[in-house]
Amino acid sequence: MASDSSADVVIVGTGVVGCLVAERALDAGLSVLMLEAGPRVDRWRIVENYRNLPPSMRLFHWDAPYPPKPWAPHLETRVAKESEQYLQLEGPNARAYLQGYVRYAGGATWHWAGICWRLTPEDMRLKSLYGVGRDWPFGHDVLEPYYTAAEYAIGVCGPSDPALQWPPNAERSKPYPMGPIPFGPGETRLTEAAARIGMMNLPAPQARNSGVSYHGRPPCCGNNNCFPVCPIAAKYDAATALPKIEAKGGKILANAVVYRVETGEKNAVEAVHYFDPNKVSHRVTAKLFVIACNGIETPKLLLLSKDDRNSNGVANSSDQVGRNMMDQPKLFAEVELAEPLWTGVGPVQSSSILNTTQGEFRNRYAGAMFRMENFARSPLGSAAALKKGLVGKALDTEIRRLSACTARLTVEHEPLPLPINRLTLSSKTDWLGINKPNIYYDVSDYVRRSAKEYTVPRLQQLASELGATSFQLSPEFLNSDHIMGGCIMGSEAATAVVDADCRAHDHQNLFLPGGGAMPSGTASNSTLTMAALALKAADAITAQLKHG
Amino acid sequence: MGSSGHRLGALLIGFAGFLAADTSHAADTAAVIDRGAYLATAADCGACHTAPGREPFAGGLPISTPLGTIYSTNITASGEFGVGRYTEEQFSRALRRGVRRDGANLYPAMPYTSYAKFTEDDVHALFVYFTQAVKAVDHSAPKTELPFPMNIRLSMIGWNLLFLNSAAFVPDPNQSAEWNRGAYLVQGAAHCSTCHTPRGFLMQEQTSRALSGASVGPWYAPNITSDPTSGIGSWTKDDLVAYLRTGHLSGMAQAAGSMGEAVEHSFQHLTASDLEATAVYIKSVPAIHDPSDEASRFTAGRQSSELATLRGRDGVKSDNGADPAGALLFAGNCVSCHSAEGQGSKDGYYPSLFHNSATGAKNATNLIAAILYGVNRVTMGKQAFMPGFGGQPTDANPLNDREIMALGNYVLTHYGAGGTAITEQQVAEVRSGGPSSPLLMLARGGIAAAAVVLLLGIAFVLFRRRKIVSRPAAAS
Repeated sequence: MASDSSADVVIVGTGVVGCLVAERALDAGLSVLMLEAGPRVDRWRIVENYRNLPPSMRLFHWDAPYPPKPWAPHLETRVAKESEQYLQLEGPNARAYLQGYVRYAGGATWHWAGICWRLTPEDMRLKSLYGVGRDWPFGHDVLEPYYTAAEYAIGVCGPSDPALQWPPNAERSKPYPMGPIPFGPGETRLTEAAARIGMMNLPAPQARNSGVSYHGRPPCCGNNNCFPVCPIAAKYDAATALPKIEAKGGKILANAVVYRVETGEKNAVEAVHYFDPNKVSHRVTAKLFVIACNGIETPKLLLLSKDDRNSNGVANSSDQVGRNMMDQPKLFAEVELAEPLWTGVGPVQSSSILNTTQGEFRNRYAGAMFRMENFARSPLGSAAALKKGLVGKALDTEIRRLSACTARLTVEHEPLPLPINRLTLSSKTDWLGINKPNIYYDVSDYVRRSAKEYTVPRLQQLASELGATSFQLSPEFLNSDHIMGGCIMGSEAATAVVDADCRAHDHQNLFLPGGGAMPSGTASNSTLTMAALALKAADAITAQLKHG
Repeated sequence: MGSSGHRLGALLIGFAGFLAADTSHAADTAAVIDRGAYLATAADCGACHTAPGREPFAGGLPISTPLGTIYSTNITASGEFGVGRYTEEQFSRALRRGVRRDGANLYPAMPYTSYAKFTEDDVHALFVYFTQAVKAVDHSAPKTELPFPMNIRLSMIGWNLLFLNSAAFVPDPNQSAEWNRGAYLVQGAAHCSTCHTPRGFLMQEQTSRALSGASVGPWYAPNITSDPTSGIGSWTKDDLVAYLRTGHLSGMAQAAGSMGEAVEHSFQHLTASDLEATAVYIKSVPAIHDPSDEASRFTAGRQSSELATLRGRDGVKSDNGADPAGALLFAGNCVSCHSAEGQGSKDGYYPSLFHNSATGAKNATNLIAAILYGVNRVTMGKQAFMPGFGGQPTDANPLNDREIMALGNYVLTHYGAGGTAITEQQVAEVRSGGPSSPLLMLARGGIAAAAVVLLLGIAFVLFRRRKIVSRPAAAS
């Protein structure tokens, strides 16, 4: 059994990656202690937080129902003063790294969309095929079983027709555990319009129960607020895994802010140290440590943990910790249409165009994923109609028109792992006196060229095919909330932080699974790949502890 | 030559006749097996004898009773562990008298008092089905070990003498064939009284109050007599058939707990004519009125919402504050599916919370149990699912007893019977599996032990009397 100060496996972070590793380790008979910086809050209270937000905060402020504790700060988009922000951002595209993860037990899956794309075999071989980025240290065939296991572990619904599955050129070992969620009227229209110009809008595989319960969680009932929170847990989030982990004997300590990784003989990790909310420090030992705080908090913690053996920080002999920060730089267009589109039926995202992510052009510019947001437009329509000074029936009519006849089209670009995009420790500190993360971000010419020559013209074409009467493009690149890089994977210890199992090259008993390890970002959502890497790491962890 | 040819011809005809007889025998057996399978479904043997995720009829399902946990037995064709070595007579004795092959008594968790109604023909069909068509599973189910004195199975002899009516079903010539078919199913295979008839001190069914409602573990099997206020007298025959087939009747009721299982595993598979016969008979069951019932449980409550008083009152918080009010719990836990005003969804998948027997009944047991355990029922390939809020590892919103009390009372006040108040103790009782028998409490004080001794005494006297009476016949 795990105690509050020791276990076979100590896992820092209770998001999807930490929880998947925890469940596998417990199933293998290992004792597990999880340390979470943030609080553990009832789902229904978060739901009520969301519903109590003022209308202006209810869209695009996904962090707002998750007010951070002083000891576990995260980005607060409603705080106006940037200087007081937790995330310190700089560089030509600072705005494109405004990552909205929350430090709550359950992690950022609390407010993810649930989209579960797999990478293509080409996505894992960018260097060999296109001469850009990095190759993965293993092929798609190695990852495939872990993709399948992840889909079954978190419950992914998706199409059974191979023609609608992604990637198109790699076999699946098992069908999706559930059938797809049907398209709403807006998505049906988009699919038809896109098909006319060679863009294939696919039903998105998503960790959301379609028509049936899965692992005791109910089917989706279409509340259409997957972010910021699924009120009934029809969408998987790691918070739903926490009681299962406890039922298997795992221990979870919330409000435990790990601030230092301690190494010992042979540079093995001996302990981690955390602060409780009274700023009292505790030391926790284990046979093996997993830092699963994703691509910002994990490198931050490693950089904080400098010692005599590791003068650049733990796991950082390659100097790659905190480098290669990636996310898909996003552009969107607000469009008005002559005919009603009616987004908002079903989940907030439910389909995407992916055939635009692949091609020989990737040697010159980024591939990109196109999609349409499927959230209900009524709050936006109401605000815009009120602004026009309308009253009475004219107001009602305009609200209805703006809710039905507007849409947001989005394009997310594939990033490259560039050492220049770098997380360092800011001189500014948080409530506990811990350095805030500082990130320099430049989307690079690879993405800018793609936007100019490829994606913006395609976006305009898509809008016009939908019948757009106006097209307003976002003025700058934005974040997609898919934090990658930071602890990059590779077979060479000199150029990568972790090996093919997400084990730190420098420390045999330290694992850093998750988005930080991904050697390529690609244009699609990262979570399923993170989950697959977690399960691959879990296999390595249990093998290492069970059989030495 | 002629005569030998004639003989050969006769032989061939005889052989053909033999062949025909053999095929028709096989067809007969297949038909008997089919009928046995149908009866096993009607009797819902699998509800208890098939544990989730295990082989059919291999037993091992823990059944919580007011006297302790009883494990269902293996009734597959396995010789060593099931009923494979039972003769038809032994099988019939187990099914209809509650006596095992080895002579030990079964507990009446096995509804043999209902199955006693089975005709010889139907017992035969069940015997053939279980011993020839059900796949043998060669492992034993866990042993039932009830606390003293209930662990003395012999005590059941006295119980049976007092409470087992061993007569098979006798049709009532004054009623229609449909009514009689319904009565046979309801009293026998479907064993409705096992749950819906209240039980007396010794756990016997109180036949004078047949089908007037009783506790079943954490759930309450309500009054299904023809009383228009306390029972289901307001339902049409079609209503009842639809309910039995789907477990759902919009604006009335939905099946959960063991009734949900009965609909899923048994009723939905019955023929239309058997469901109609069942409904015809149930509608004729004598009304039993509970004088404290002022209105039907199907008409209580109305559409309403207190959301306006909630919004903006509490800001966003990062703590699990103590003692939330019922209105807040309702908004956070219920309205996402049942709608802000409790009206459910238009297609009826999410039931309305008013005009609903779970909230309209004066006895709030089913409301509490539904919140704690949820609903999971599959009919016609479609699932009706409500998550539990009782703190199982799969429950996304675990609520404690106090929260469920507050939530339940809010629902009762706004959408249900009103006037009733759920207590924290009541929630705790339903959470722990329902009320336990006073028999068990008394047993701990030794009083029931005395009662059992007394029962054994009565049984012994009755047994001797019977022996004395039957002696002359035996002697002749």
